[in-house]
Amino acid sequence: MPSIIELKNVCKSFGHTEVLHNIDLSIQEGEVVVIIGPSGSGKSTLLRSINCLEMITSGELIVDGVRIPAEQDRIRQIRLEVGMVFQQFNLFPHMTALENVAFGPHKARKINKSEATEIARGLLYKVGLAEFEDKFPGQLSGGQQQRVAIARALAVNPKVLLFDEPTSALDPEMIGEVLDVMKSIAKDSGMTMLVVTHEMGFAAQAGNRLIFMDDGRIVEEGKPGEIMKNPQSERLKDFLGHVKHH
Amino acid sequence: MDFEFSVITESLPALLAGAKLTWIITILGIIGGMVCGVLAGLGRIAGTEALGEKPHGIFKPICVLIRYLSGGYVEMIRGTPIIVQAMFLYFAFPMLVKAVTDIERFRIEALTAAVITIIFNAGAYIAEIVRGSVISVNKGLLEAGMSLGISRFQLIVHVIGPIAFRRMIPPLGNQFIISLKDTSLFIVIGVGELTRQGQEIMASNFRALEIWLTVAVMYLIMTTVLAMSLRQLERKMKIF
Repeated sequence: MPSIIELKNVCKSFGHTEVLHNIDLSIQEGEVVVIIGPSGSGKSTLLRSINCLEMITSGELIVDGVRIPAEQDRIRQIRLEVGMVFQQFNLFPHMTALENVAFGPHKARKINKSEATEIARGLLYKVGLAEFEDKFPGQLSGGQQQRVAIARALAVNPKVLLFDEPTSALDPEMIGEVLDVMKSIAKDSGMTMLVVTHEMGFAAQAGNRLIFMDDGRIVEEGKPGEIMKNPQSERLKDFLGHVKHH
Repeated sequence: MDFEFSVITESLPALLAGAKLTWIITILGIIGGMVCGVLAGLGRIAGTEALGEKPHGIFKPICVLIRYLSGGYVEMIRGTPIIVQAMFLYFAFPMLVKAVTDIERFRIEALTAAVITIIFNAGAYIAEIVRGSVISVNKGLLEAGMSLGISRFQLIVHVIGPIAFRRMIPPLGNQFIISLKDTSLFIVIGVGELTRQGQEIMASNFRALEIWLTVAVMYLIMTTVLAMSLRQLERKMKIF
């Protein structure tokens, strides 16, 4: 399998603070990679770099065959292939659920409006929100908003989906519905997924690979079940202990 | 002291003519001011993160230049009284033109000067309203738009614009009303707007109470119409 995302020796600094240190990572098409780690460990920055929302300071980053940094047009091409789901949903508040989802295919993929709307309808059905298509984000619960956001990201038909703590802003009773949608995407569509999360259950069930980051470095990686059962480093043992107690 | 209703009815045609002129200057001023304001407001934040990604290469210095020009315009207008701006445009500007060019009979009509003054004056304040509303748009929404692969232009038109516009409505209402009332200052360049008409009638019949009361009520009616239409717009554009 060819790798769709390739990081070699990637570093990223904000001013004098280096948040990613020499990251090497290769992600194959169809893989579901779960990234865990304490806050401030660089997980989100790693994800945002792949979508060019942050520019790496040095090293080599190749996404879908395009070397980053690249010019603006190429970056837009990358983003069409790499969707993102945010912790705070970030739905467009002035558009209905349906318009939110149809926006990407219509404006970015240049699909005509009625076709884009059909795509959006299908995806809202898929995430279980068919009857909410005319609601505005402010009229939906957090879990529903996040499911719309997932449908929106899927609508441009990307090769990769990035999830930046998709359930961290949700009330506990809504986490399940979002994770279920993510699991079904992972299982049914063979989508390449990178998921930053603290949901260890999701990692164990849906993840092909688990990555533990701390202090801007990849400390451990491997099969989720094995890593969770036999953490090698003290830091991961410590981290898992904290996560489990929640 | 006696209050003569006939004074009001007699002066009503002239006052209404003045009110009409006030209304025309205001509407033209507001429309032009919006164009100026949007351009200068976006200009002040050109090339910053508020409008999506920072530009690269040649666009970087261009954006810096645009920011300085827009900033200079806003500060110049905000820093001087509108009455001085009107007198400068009406009396001084033609002399300036004569001095630097060969045009002998350069003149600006008083009404034209009034409209231009309102356009540039309102534009500077509206620029700040536009800038404030745009930078208040949640950065996460910009990132969501960018991550879908849409262009900066689309981002501004479809995401930043509509959200920012809703936030502009209350302060815009303020500015529109201020601009309407500012037209009364054009009495100094001889535009026959409402205040000037009142002044002229008063100078001939000395009925200050009746005249200024009528003038005040007329302004109040016009500002109320402005305020109510913006209220209507605000209700229409409500976000859930």
